Amino acid sequence: MPPIIEISGLRKTYRRSFRQPHNALDGLDLEVAAGQVHGFLGPNGSGKTTTLRALLGLIRVDGGTMRIFGEEVPHRLPQVVGRIGAVVESPQFFKHFSGRLTLQLLAESAGIPKDRVESVLEQVGLRDAAKASVKGYSLGMRQRLAVAQALLKQPQLLILDEPANGLDPAGIHHMRELLQWLAHEQGVTVVVSSHLLSEVQQLCDSMTIVSRGRRIVDGSVADIIAGHSGASLSVRFPDAGSLPEAAEALTTAKAGVGAVVERDRLVVTNAPEAAWVTQTLAEAGIYLSELVTQTKNLESVFLELTGTAPQPGQTVQIGQSVAVPETASPIEVPVAVSPDAGPQAGSEAGSEAEEAQR
Amino acid sequence: MNLFKAELRRIARRRLTLVFGILLLAGVVGLAVILASISSKGPSEETLAEAQAQADEMNEQNPDYLDCVEDESYFEDNEMYGWVETDPEYEGMSHKEACEHAVGGWWAEDFIWTYTFDFENEGPFVIVGVMIVAGLVMMLLGSSAIGAEWSSGGMSNLMVWHPNRMRLWGVKLGAALAACAAGVVVLAALAFGLLVLVASLRGEVGVLDGVWWEDTLELVLRTGVLALGMTLLGASLAMLGRHTAIAGGVIAGYLIVGELIVNMVSMNLSMDFPERLSLYTWVGAWITGRVELYGAYSGFNDMTPEVMVITWGDAGVLLGAIVLLFGALATWSFQRRDAA
Repeated sequence: MPPIIEISGLRKTYRRSFRQPHNALDGLDLEVAAGQVHGFLGPNGSGKTTTLRALLGLIRVDGGTMRIFGEEVPHRLPQVVGRIGAVVESPQFFKHFSGRLTLQLLAESAGIPKDRVESVLEQVGLRDAAKASVKGYSLGMRQRLAVAQALLKQPQLLILDEPANGLDPAGIHHMRELLQWLAHEQGVTVVVSSHLLSEVQQLCDSMTIVSRGRRIVDGSVADIIAGHSGASLSVRFPDAGSLPEAAEALTTAKAGVGAVVERDRLVVTNAPEAAWVTQTLAEAGIYLSELVTQTKNLESVFLELTGTAPQPGQTVQIGQSVAVPETASPIEVPVAVSPDAGPQAGSEAGSEAEEAQR
Repeated sequence: MNLFKAELRRIARRRLTLVFGILLLAGVVGLAVILASISSKGPSEETLAEAQAQADEMNEQNPDYLDCVEDESYFEDNEMYGWVETDPEYEGMSHKEACEHAVGGWWAEDFIWTYTFDFENEGPFVIVGVMIVAGLVMMLLGSSAIGAEWSSGGMSNLMVWHPNRMRLWGVKLGAALAACAAGVVVLAALAFGLLVLVASLRGEVGVLDGVWWEDTLELVLRTGVLALGMTLLGASLAMLGRHTAIAGGVIAGYLIVGELIVNMVSMNLSMDFPERLSLYTWVGAWITGRVELYGAYSGFNDMTPEVMVITWGDAGVLLGAIVLLFGALATWSFQRRDAA
C-alpha cells in the first residue's frame, strides 16, 4: 500500500530584513504508512510544525515535493482536504462563541450534518461544556475542542500537533485510547507531533525524528528503541576495587570494546554479547556479581539522536541539535550503535556540513 | 454556498454585530424621537400674529423701512433697490411685505421659534446621513470580520478546512458585503418609515412625486454603493494588516493626519482647487451628484471665478480605483503570504 504522506526534499527558508535567513526545513523527507499512529518528533525549532503547516497549505515552501493520498499538495489539496482532519499548533478559536457553535459553523461550512457535531463533542468529552463560551475553556478543553473539529469530517488522515498539550492525565489517557482506536479499529492514519516522549512511546506505531529541518531516523518505535538499546552493559563486582582491572581486561581482549568506570559499576560498550563479557572476565580471574543490558526508553534515544541531552552546567539552546549532512541517508533501524556514537557522529557530520557551507 | 451561509452566520452571531446593530437601531429611533419632539405642524394664528407684531415693532425703528412703506414708488425711485422690481422672489408680494423683506430686515419668521420637519426636502438627507453612519459601522464590522479571524487564529483553522484561498477570501468578502447591504437597507427603510411617520404627525410630508422619488432613489443608491465600498475597503485593509486595529488605524490616520497634511499642502502650494486633494470632496460629489469648486478669478476685469465641476461619475472613478487597489493588494497578499 502506498504511503499516505510522502514528503521529499522539503525546503523552507524564512527570509527577514536585516537578519540571516533561517532554514526551517532543509531537505526534509517523511513517509507515513496507512493505518498507523505515526510520531513526528524533534527538538524545538527542528521544523515539525513548519512541515505540518506546509503539508496543509498554510505556508509556501521553497523546494521539495509533498503528496497526501498520492495527490500532490498544496496544488491538489482542495481535492483531498475533505479526508484530512488537522490541528496545527495551539488551538485557537473565537472566544465568544460556544464550543458547539464553533463546531456547527465549521460543519456547516463543509456541508457536514449537524448531528456529527454532537457525536464528536461526546467523543472528546465536551458534551456538558458545549454550551459554554470558549473564553471560559481551559487549555485542555480547547485542545479537546480542537481535536473535535479535526474529527468532524470523519477523516482518513488525522494530523495533530501536540494533541496532549494541556490535557490532564485522564485526558491524555482518553486521547491515547481514542487515537489508537481510530488507527487500529477505524483504519485512520494518525500523525502526531509531540514532545511527550513517554506518551509517543505508548501511543505510536512508527515515528520520524527530525533535527534542524532534516530527518535523522524513521521506522517503527520498537525498532528504533531496540536499535539503540542493548549496546551497553552495566557490570558490577563484589569488590569495587576490581573495576579498573576489569576495564583493562575487557578493552585489551577485543579492539573496539569500550569500558568506562561509573561510580561502582562498569559500563561496557560494543561488546559482541553479554556472554563474551562474563567469559573474558572469568578468564582474567575477575568474577562479576551483576550484569544488566541497559534498556533505553524513547527519551534517552531521542536525546541521544538529536544531541540535545543536557550536559552538567550547560543549557541546551534552541537550534543546538544535531545537524544531518545533506547527503546522509537516515539512520536505518534496527542497528546497534554505540550510545555515544550517535550525537558525536551527527555533530561531526554537522560540523562538516557547516564547514562546507562556510 | 455552505461556506457563504456559515460566514453570514458567523458575522451575525458575533457580539460586535449585536452591539452595533442595537446601537444603530437605537440611533435611528432616537433621531426620529428627537425630530418628533422639536418639530411641530406650524405656528398657531396667535403665535403668528404675535411674531408679526414683534417684527413690525423692530422694523418701525428703521427710518428707511418707514419711508418705504409710506412711498409706493420707493423701489422705482431708489436706485439701490431697483432690482426688487425684477426679482421673481418679490413677485406677488404686497408693497409692505416687499419693504419688510428688502429694507426692514425683520420678518415674522424671525420671531417664531418653531421648527417644522419637512420630509420632502429634509428627509432624503437625513436618510443619507443614517446610511453613511451605517456604512462606517459596516466598514468596522467588515474589517473586524477579517481582522478578528486573523488575530484569534480562526483564519488558519478555516484555511485548513478550505485551502482554496481565493474562494475563501471571495466568500468572506461576499458575506461581509451582503451583511453590509442588508444592514444599510434595513436601517434606511426604518429611517424612511419613521421619518414619514414623524412628518405626518408633527411636520410636513410634502409632495413625493415621481421626480422626488427619482432624485431620492438616486441619492440613496449612490450612498448605498459608498457603504459597500467602505466595507470592501475595511475588509481589504484588515486582510493586509491581518488585524482589525490596522484597518481602523489606517482609516482613522487618514481622517485625522491625512486631511491635516492635505490642508497644509494645499495652503502652501499655489495650485488651483486645492479642495480636490481631500477625499471628502470626492465623497461629497459622489453622494450629491455634483460639486463645484471655485478657484481664482480668471482675469483682472473678469469677476467670474474659475469653476471645477466634479460629477458623481468622476468621483466614482477615483473612489472605485482606491477601493479596487486595496482590494487587489489584499487578494494578492492573501494568496501569496504564509499564514503565520
